[in-house]
Amino acid sequence: MSNSFRRITTISKKELVEFARDWRTIFALLIIPLLMFPLLFIIFPLLLASEAAELDAIQVQVVVQSNDFPSNLSEELNGSGINLVYEPLSFEGNLSSPIGEEERLRNGNVDAILRMRSNGTVWDYALLHMSTSERSQEARTRTLTVLFEWEENETERRLVVAGLDPDDTLHPLNWDGPISNSDVATSGEQAGMMLSLFIPLVLSVWTFSSAIQPSIDMTAGERERGTLEALLGLPCSRNELLFGKWLAVATITGIGVMLQLIGLLFAIGYLATSDFLTIPTLSVPSIVFIGIAILLFAIMVVAFELALAMRAHSVKEAGSILGPALLLILFPALFTQVINLDGIETFWFSIPVVNVLLALRELLMDRFVVEHILTWIVSSGFYAIVAALYAARQFKREDIVTSLS
Amino acid sequence: MQAELLRVEHVTKSFGHIEALNNVSLSIKEGEIVGLVGSNGAGKTTLLRLLAGVYKPSTGAVVLSDGSKVEDARHRLGVVPESTGLYSRLTAWENIRYHSRLYGIPDKEAWARTRFFAQRLDMEESLGRHTKGFSRGMRQKTALLRALAHAPDILLLDEPTAGLDVTSARTVRSLVHQLGQTGGTVVYSTHQLAEAEAVCSRIIIIHNGEVRADGTPEGLLEQTSTANLEEAYVSLTTDKARTRMTSEKPLSKIAGWWQKLFTPKMPGGDESE
Repeated sequence: MSNSFRRITTISKKELVEFARDWRTIFALLIIPLLMFPLLFIIFPLLLASEAAELDAIQVQVVVQSNDFPSNLSEELNGSGINLVYEPLSFEGNLSSPIGEEERLRNGNVDAILRMRSNGTVWDYALLHMSTSERSQEARTRTLTVLFEWEENETERRLVVAGLDPDDTLHPLNWDGPISNSDVATSGEQAGMMLSLFIPLVLSVWTFSSAIQPSIDMTAGERERGTLEALLGLPCSRNELLFGKWLAVATITGIGVMLQLIGLLFAIGYLATSDFLTIPTLSVPSIVFIGIAILLFAIMVVAFELALAMRAHSVKEAGSILGPALLLILFPALFTQVINLDGIETFWFSIPVVNVLLALRELLMDRFVVEHILTWIVSSGFYAIVAALYAARQFKREDIVTSLS
Repeated sequence: MQAELLRVEHVTKSFGHIEALNNVSLSIKEGEIVGLVGSNGAGKTTLLRLLAGVYKPSTGAVVLSDGSKVEDARHRLGVVPESTGLYSRLTAWENIRYHSRLYGIPDKEAWARTRFFAQRLDMEESLGRHTKGFSRGMRQKTALLRALAHAPDILLLDEPTAGLDVTSARTVRSLVHQLGQTGGTVVYSTHQLAEAEAVCSRIIIIHNGEVRADGTPEGLLEQTSTANLEEAYVSLTTDKARTRMTSEKPLSKIAGWWQKLFTPKMPGGDESE
């Protein structure tokens, strides 16, 4: 092992030991990414389901204002968890006008008001509710569901009375067989397509944001605490110092991203038992290229963040620089999600940040376009080198020895 | 005759338009304990950083006896900066081991030397403790142990007793004295004349980035025809501190203007400029 490599690994190991001894950063950078997707995909739907079940159990109050309300409709509404209160309809104008009824809807005395008026053949109706109240929304949903069913039955009854077949009349165009059979994309490919819309975004944002704290701590933090001066007096070059710190930040970020992916795969595996999402089918080359894309992106991002943090005199100053710098990743990441990959021009794969994100999208869909792959590998490699050179330049600045303390 | 270890040749150091050191020349000989004495901002720390190879001279050179530049021979130096530079989440020994590994010293060797000096500094029991709760004195002692673990030819200490209690300061001075007696070479920066007189065999007075005097305490008294070192120091540094020139870049002008907006005016008068 060369002396230079030994010094780089010594610096890196020490940074990792220091990092591992701070449980707060471990929690923020390792535990949270591991739990984020399982919480989002498993706990959140469970929470929603329990909330929905709770909502299903409640009885809602609906006032029916009508002078000739159909009796069969009353029966159906009563059987849907709705308590009905009947009032005569004295309102003459537009039924949707809530004038005079706002107060009792707002104070929750009633959850919805159903107004119905028959002109002989057609029923005019309106449902007054308050969209910001969950109970009122629930009352509206239940009432409308019953109304639409009643309308369907009434339509069929009228067609039969008129001597027509309801099915032929209402559905003259009929899809034959299960719709899902007609898609040539496999469920794995569909899952890849769906995941390609958010995995690149999450990965890029997480790579950048998880590198912020260790980058600051190992540069501006050292500078602020006065530990950098002692380090600069040692027989190791500034480049060795940079590479040692880069290796440590990249390791922390890499572990964070890996844990996040593990959490994501676990969550997808859980969801795979449902019809919502299946595990994407990825070929081995796709997985390898995804790894290369993330690695090149991480080299660039970590070097860039170390360089920016090293320019700062204090942790506070570094935070105020690197925080907004996240937008440099976020905007292209959001922008990349809406770019159509079919027939995309090659130059998109040479734009910084956008290139890696587009590459990840294509690879998650198991698409291989040699021209695209060559373009993003060469351009990403170039940007990674530029970022590393910029970082090396910052580390060679003489003023980094001075600290605020 | 003592052999020369390190030589500073007509060194000038500037930061932008600020000249921190002006045409400084001196040499450090083996076994000397050299005191760099000067007021705050005189240029002591800048000179120490040049000696440590952290700064490069704007003009001139800092070379070792074999002709090598100091930045290429940092393994021969031991440095204790004023801030001590300890990592609070590491133990005292881990701090020492980290530096000694970067010096390329085997752990066993570093440990043996550390224990040897730790006994003299009454630090043996604290080597396994995290430095987070250390007092200023313990931090300074740990930094000293760290600088000595690789057996440097020259020890550079930047105000090693600043902020220490009487007992700790005395222990540090005693160790430096012992190092001198055993042939060690120490460059010791301080702004306390009495301390320099007690510890150092040679005193260099720096003022406004220039060497004003260089010699033994007795020699300085003779040179200035004064009765004590304090009077000697005053007679050598009577000129006012130079007004520092600043290079104002457009961005720093804006930053200064912005800062001024939030600076309260002095009570009963104009803003102090």
